[in-house]
Amino acid sequence: MDMRAEAPSPRTERARRRGGPVFSIKGLLKVFGDDKPYVALKDVELTVENGEFLCLLGASGCGKSTLLNLLAGFEKPSGGELLYNSKPIAGPGRERVMFFQDANAALLPWQTVQQNVEFGLKLQGLLHNQGWRERIEECLELVGLAEHRHKVPSEISGGMRQRLQIARALAVEPDVLLMDEPFAALDAITRRRMHEALLDVWQREKRTVVFVTHDIMEALTLADRIAVMSVGPGSRIAHIIEIKQPRPRNPADPELGHLFAHLEHLLHGVSPEESMQ
Amino acid sequence: MSAVVSSDTLQHEKTQKMRRPRLLSAKQREIIRRLGFIATSFLMAFVVWYVVSYYVTGPFLIPPPSKVIAAFFPMAESGQLLNDIGMSLSRVAVGYSFGSVIGLTLGLFMGRVRVLHDLLDPIVQTARFLSPTAMIPIVIIWFGIGELAKYALVFWGTVSLVLINTIAGVLRTPKIRQNAALCLGASEAQIFRLIVLPSAVPFIVIGMRLALASAFVSIIPAELLAADSGLGYLLQQSSLLLQTDRIFVALVVICVVGFLTDQLFYWSTTLFLRRYLAVV
Ligand SMILES: Nc1ncnc2c1ncn2[C@@H]1O[C@H](COP(=O)(O)OP(=O)(O)OP(=O)(O)O)[C@@H](O)[C@H]1O
Ligand SMILES: [Mg+2]
Repeated sequence: MDMRAEAPSPRTERARRRGGPVFSIKGLLKVFGDDKPYVALKDVELTVENGEFLCLLGASGCGKSTLLNLLAGFEKPSGGELLYNSKPIAGPGRERVMFFQDANAALLPWQTVQQNVEFGLKLQGLLHNQGWRERIEECLELVGLAEHRHKVPSEISGGMRQRLQIARALAVEPDVLLMDEPFAALDAITRRRMHEALLDVWQREKRTVVFVTHDIMEALTLADRIAVMSVGPGSRIAHIIEIKQPRPRNPADPELGHLFAHLEHLLHGVSPEESMQ
Repeated sequence: MSAVVSSDTLQHEKTQKMRRPRLLSAKQREIIRRLGFIATSFLMAFVVWYVVSYYVTGPFLIPPPSKVIAAFFPMAESGQLLNDIGMSLSRVAVGYSFGSVIGLTLGLFMGRVRVLHDLLDPIVQTARFLSPTAMIPIVIIWFGIGELAKYALVFWGTVSLVLINTIAGVLRTPKIRQNAALCLGASEAQIFRLIVLPSAVPFIVIGMRLALASAFVSIIPAELLAADSGLGYLLQQSSLLLQTDRIFVALVVICVVGFLTDQLFYWSTTLFLRRYLAVV
């Protein structure tokens, strides 16, 4: 069934052949406001490699969403260098699809589940092209919404709406998925399913994912690397931690336990000894 | 199959509802309850009307319901009443249609184009305090007492309401929804047509509904002062001849016609625009 494994679409193939980092951030500065300026980000240094799963971890208000909005092109940097495939980011682009925490605002409430998934292709005038119908079906199946395709967003649950956002993003075959706390509002079981689904998509289609979370365990479950942000104002990437554990990861793994304690220490200043008890 | 989340496991189990057999469904009972209250409300009004008419003012100043009904039938049979209703309605229809189209179009542009908004908003915010009644004297000088004057006054009573609510609807389109469309590859024109316009529908509908009521409120004074037909003219003539029963017929008819038109508007928007009005 997975024809994409043999014949990846041109867009994905192009991204894979390209060498070098996807995002390259050097000395990035973001200041909000004019008369009462607030320095949200300062001296941010980060490189995101092609095909990597990177988690941005940080306390509330430290500037995770701000950084993601800059990567998406919704916000302009106040200084420093922000490159996507070696070119400055001029604005939003369809190779970088953002996934919002607020699904109600992000989806189209007047369209059915299926129409929402088709929306990106419709915008790009690809809806009736060869092969795309199967792509829509595949995306609906992937997130388990095929049977609910004729409902509107108000008729499906919160978790289903988040899955719908995933399907909508995947349908346009982006090179990069930018995800802002996508599963924060879900219950533990649904969230676990979503993690599995996301990792599956990521591994099969080799996209680059930048995933924002303030949940240490979620970051440990998903990431190749975790970028820990310091608290604002003037927040930056304070630490980068690589996770080499193979997936699927077992939460009981002692190595992950150590990493958890270490991250807890970095985030909340709790010493590793205390958190191990 | 590559489905990771099996959809059957997610499907809700159909819960068997245990219910005592009832004569009427919950929905039917709710409707009966509502109708009961409506009937009681009018019954109360009629009783108060009778009491005030007989014991406080006397039946000349406030004719009792029976006298009003007695006056209604000859007016209806002669066709005069129907003619007046028709005249007023046609003026409302023309003025309201123009007001809505202009208010909607201008509102969409003003909500989207910053310069246009900043340029025109001060005028809108000040001129809307001129009620249609305040505009009657100058409108008569401009257009005489023909139909055009009435259309202009109803137009004036509707345009600003549609305009202001349309602007609010456009400005309140969630930024996130527009950003989501942008990174799915939308152009500016697509954002406007496929995101902003549908998102603004609830506000536009509210504006048009308020404007419809305003159109009815505007047409009566216009016809009082400058007309030879219509419900306002009927009020004016009856007043000159001290026919209080006929005045009351006209007043009740205005209430009923206005109410029915509003209901028609409400049900047709619910029917045709339901998916845009649904709240998530
Ligand atoms: N448009 C804005 N204008 C002014 N300040 C802003 C703006 N957006 C964000 N900020 C400020 O920047 C800082 C970082 O905000 P941001 O939303 O990026 O935090 P976050 O890390 O995503 O937090 P959370 O985990 O709670 O979502 C906050 O102090 C916030 O007040
Ligand atoms: Mg945030």
